[in-house]
Amino acid sequence: MTEAREAILRDVRAALGRSESSPVAPMPATAGVRAREPGSLEDEVDLLLAEVRRLDGVAKRVPDRGSLASALAGLVNAEAIRKATLWSTSGLVRWGVAEALRALGVELIAPGTDPRDLAECDLGVTEADAAIPETGTLLLRSSAAQPRSVSLLPRVHLAILTPAVLRPDLHHAFAEVSGSGYCVLITGPSRTADIELAVTIGVHGPRALHVWVVEQP
Amino acid sequence: MSRHFPTIDFRANARRVAPAVPAAVQRATMRFLANRAAVVQEMGQARWEDLRRAAHDLRLHTVEHLDYYLARAEAQILAAGGAVHWARDAAEARRIVLSIAQQHGARCVVKAKSMATEEIGLNHALEAAGIEVLETDLGEYLVQLAGQGPSHIIVPAVHMTKEGIASLFRQRLGVDAPAEPQALAGIARSRLREAFLSAEVGITGANFLVAETGTLVIVTNEGNGRMCTTLPPVHVAVVGIEKVVPDWESLTVLLKVLARSATGQKLSCYTSFITGPRRDPAEHGPRQLHVVVLDNGRTRILRDARARETLLCVRCGSCLNVCPVYNHVGGHAYGWVYSGPIGAILTPQLLGTAVAGSLPFASTLCGACSEICPVKIPIHEILLHLRRRAMEGDEMDPPVASGLIRAGAKVSAWFLRSPWLYAAAAHLAGMMQRPLWRDGWLHWLPPPLGRWTLVRPFPTFQGDFRSWWRRRRGGRIAARPPRNGTGRDD
Repeated sequence: MTEAREAILRDVRAALGRSESSPVAPMPATAGVRAREPGSLEDEVDLLLAEVRRLDGVAKRVPDRGSLASALAGLVNAEAIRKATLWSTSGLVRWGVAEALRALGVELIAPGTDPRDLAECDLGVTEADAAIPETGTLLLRSSAAQPRSVSLLPRVHLAILTPAVLRPDLHHAFAEVSGSGYCVLITGPSRTADIELAVTIGVHGPRALHVWVVEQP
Repeated sequence: MSRHFPTIDFRANARRVAPAVPAAVQRATMRFLANRAAVVQEMGQARWEDLRRAAHDLRLHTVEHLDYYLARAEAQILAAGGAVHWARDAAEARRIVLSIAQQHGARCVVKAKSMATEEIGLNHALEAAGIEVLETDLGEYLVQLAGQGPSHIIVPAVHMTKEGIASLFRQRLGVDAPAEPQALAGIARSRLREAFLSAEVGITGANFLVAETGTLVIVTNEGNGRMCTTLPPVHVAVVGIEKVVPDWESLTVLLKVLARSATGQKLSCYTSFITGPRRDPAEHGPRQLHVVVLDNGRTRILRDARARETLLCVRCGSCLNVCPVYNHVGGHAYGWVYSGPIGAILTPQLLGTAVAGSLPFASTLCGACSEICPVKIPIHEILLHLRRRAMEGDEMDPPVASGLIRAGAKVSAWFLRSPWLYAAAAHLAGMMQRPLWRDGWLHWLPPPLGRWTLVRPFPTFQGDFRSWWRRRRGGRIAARPPRNGTGRDD
């Protein structure tokens, strides 16, 4: 074991003419490729929604808590949602997502339970930790309150976010994740073109992705 | 290790390719190239070129300090609660993965697409030990069911038709499926969903390994990479030593070029960042994380400074898409897991020129691969360098060419280098062909040149270019002063 480790590192150093104490040259500059300039917050939200739609996701603005409840009713109806699971983030609690779903007659499954139960869910609700409008990307972290399977196993994934979490570039989004054990970038619903290059949505991950931007948190 | 592999005969393989394969392959490559061109245009050529340059510089910096970044990555993976195993070659890597699987009593393992595990022949080793191995990328799943190999790095089953897949499902899974992509994908989805939920071990490669934090980065579109790293209690990642990147800042640059080059997406659907095993049972994810760091010939590539940049590759497949040779034969002709221009330089270096010496010759040297490569690997220059290594022999293998051919090449190099010898030889050849002339053609030539005249005549030799030029231009060129003072430019 350590023998293989030493052999590989020795071979690498011999090939490069380096030793264990050789200095490391400074990293090449990447300043030339830094981020695009973001537009106004309004424009950035528009861009995010447009990009998510371009990727076959469903995206919309939700003005406030009241309209969130009616939007949920619309979703439950349109996607025939009977069972759902959701994260317990401060936003989802504040917006009363669990209560609204329960009021619609949807059965709620605790997110930390057996993944088999989550796989039975029609809907998983998360709150994005960051989003990148340029690419239509959501960033989700993982923790006990934010289990990673909620955005993966249910048939439909709904991610709710506020304009405050928009970041102009990957580079800024990554500043949010230092110290995370696990996080994921989600760019549109799961897809493949493996059979005759026909774009097929919903292979292993969710078959539908809904992204809602709540404007008055 | 190269002794275990039969020689790859590119010409013979290419002749066996069914005509439908290149047609299907070209549909894929044209699609990807068009998508790529669109996203590059959207970002602007100047910004794209800045990104490529930065990606190249960052990858080269990492490879040139690989020992430092590997040690750093190892320390961070350990600090995050993961385990690190080092494997010098394929056999060692197979033993490590098999023993982890057996320790956990695995009956079934699920795999996300990984070139590294194909390179080490992992599936075969696990199956030989009685463990069921399921490829979960849809294309890889289809290819595995059919008992074939992938024909394209990004769309492995591009050579299969939907009708063929429907009948494959009928035979192998016993389900009657309409020949319709959505329905076929649905069948694979439900089959594999059950496997994800019951497998004891998930096996993946990694697109990158961030040294700063010990983070594995896995990019997929279907979500199978997420499934393999979320549901089974044990996650094993097999990672080539060259996959390491210094920090998240450099990762940003590489992620921006990877998906755009591969499929023409701005980012793939899912990019997972995994630092150690789960921290809390309630967040799901594996209890154990094992990273197998694989050499398998990579340090040997590092040793040849002229070919070292081969290791910058991020496996996007864009050099395949743009290659005129690949587009006419598909992936199977390359005889191993890596195909196209990158396969033509990677395979001979990993398996040795005795096995894969024919691959650097499977190229027109048009340079389109170097021009499109997102990390600017000078592929066509490395192809040339490897041709020389194959002909002359290198530290791994003896020369591919016979002594006679090498002597012939030396002699002709002599003649080509000296204007005087060249002119004399041309004159001599002109004299010697006289007895063979018949109505302006040569119908017979002595061996080995006779292989040409077996099927067609050879045009008569009209004298060398220099004397033809002199006659044509009335010696005007000769009146010019010699360029650069070499005096050879008459």
